[in-house]
Amino acid sequence: MSPVTRAVLGVVGLGGSLAVLIYLAAVLDRVIGHRVAQQPLRWSAALALPAREAARLVLQQRSRTERSDAEAWALAPALLAAAAAASVAVIPFGPAAAVADVDAGLALYVAAIALVMVAVFLHGWSPNSVYPLIGAYRFVAVTLSFQVPLALVLLATALPAESLSVSAIVQAQDGLWNVVRQPLGLPIFLATGLGAAFWGPLALPDADDLAGGTRAEVSGVPLLLWRAAQLAVLVSIAAMSAAAFLGGWRGPWLPGVVWLGLKTLAVLVVLLLAGHLLARVRQESFVVFGWVVLIPLALVDVFLSGILLL
Amino acid sequence: MNAPLLADVLFWLFAAGSVLSAWRVFRADSMMRAAYWLFASFVGVAGIFLLLGAEFLGFILILMMAGEMTIMVVFMVMFMMNPAGLNPMTMVHQHRTSIAVGVLAFLGLAALALFADFPAAPVADTSRATAELGTELLGGSMLVFQTAGVTLLSTMIGAIALASVRGRYGDAEAGSTEPQIAPEGVGRGSHAMPAAKEEPEMDEHHGHLGHG
Repeated sequence: MSPVTRAVLGVVGLGGSLAVLIYLAAVLDRVIGHRVAQQPLRWSAALALPAREAARLVLQQRSRTERSDAEAWALAPALLAAAAAASVAVIPFGPAAAVADVDAGLALYVAAIALVMVAVFLHGWSPNSVYPLIGAYRFVAVTLSFQVPLALVLLATALPAESLSVSAIVQAQDGLWNVVRQPLGLPIFLATGLGAAFWGPLALPDADDLAGGTRAEVSGVPLLLWRAAQLAVLVSIAAMSAAAFLGGWRGPWLPGVVWLGLKTLAVLVVLLLAGHLLARVRQESFVVFGWVVLIPLALVDVFLSGILLL
Repeated sequence: MNAPLLADVLFWLFAAGSVLSAWRVFRADSMMRAAYWLFASFVGVAGIFLLLGAEFLGFILILMMAGEMTIMVVFMVMFMMNPAGLNPMTMVHQHRTSIAVGVLAFLGLAALALFADFPAAPVADTSRATAELGTELLGGSMLVFQTAGVTLLSTMIGAIALASVRGRYGDAEAGSTEPQIAPEGVGRGSHAMPAAKEEPEMDEHHGHLGHG
């Protein structure tokens, strides 16, 4: 195959599977929310709900603000979606089969997660409005507190593989998954992943106490895109958890893609449950928690993984 | 389309994009736009790193610059006397000096590009750039990089110590209480919490409010 054909196939495959996973995540979120509220939802209704909401948002009027930075505002959801897609591209769905099977895959993943900060900042800054701006500053204030432990626990998974390539990391989990070998890794990754996707307890830039934060002034199609892109980041966190800690495509009987999908969905359910069950954390206490608990624990994880290899 | 042609097309896209967005930095009238145009310029450079096979450096450049440019926006907004930084402001000043410096820098770089003898040393497809970089960082150049690392770390700790609430020169809040608007302590801002605690009784407050 020529590089161009491969690129086109990769982009189409990536976009398609990401779209399906985003929709599934939206359905699961409704189902879990109704279960938690003791009002079980029929699956047929749950499957239709996100589509109905999307249709409503497509028809909804777009709100405008005075002297907004229109271009940056329009760019923000696209940038968030692009960052999520780029990060999902490194996740292998079979032996040495990923859309972007690059040597420094983990570095690409962490760089894409760093772009989330840029997207959220643009989204909060551009409307020229109070609450979105506070949300943007809030995200900048907490970003480092989750990005550093997130990058550290991912780096620890690269140690046994002796490579930054995600394919090699999945290969190195032959027989023993990283969730057992590095027990600190997955919990820290999930906790910080909620921060990266600004979801549930760590929905700080888009928090309810800020009347929606960076999306306080958004409606219609841009709101739909923003929410879909946010779910894409959540899907990316779940997929990376599956690849780096749960053995990725490894599993008996079923093909690798199915195993990766099942593991991703399982992690996604945990993340969505956290969104409905846990209270929102205040940013000050999260920054202290990040630097006093998460980063030292992540360093312990790196040291222990290194010692185990000696 | 064959791979070398594709690489050429991508190189010129990244290079032109980098230069264009660098130019936009100085045409922007918003601190946020200036900072993120600069980020876009760095992303172009990172793309060229990727084309050169230095994947790790390319991705790390994007990772570092995303954080640094955002922090730069926040700091520019804090330093400029401009409410929340939302008012437009120009990014160019001292025109004559900057034009002279710009022309000189361009001539210097152009001379370098034209007259320097660049080595033609294509990297083999099989070379493991990340592993080589790691060996270099923790091998031959270890002392240099570790010294730089410790220097940066101590600078960061020093900056945190200076900015800390419990700095060595006392409480950081000390000089930052709002001035009194009315005499006798009526109408103090919320920043004056320690002082407010020293107020003897609530009755006293009522008395002041009555006067005010």
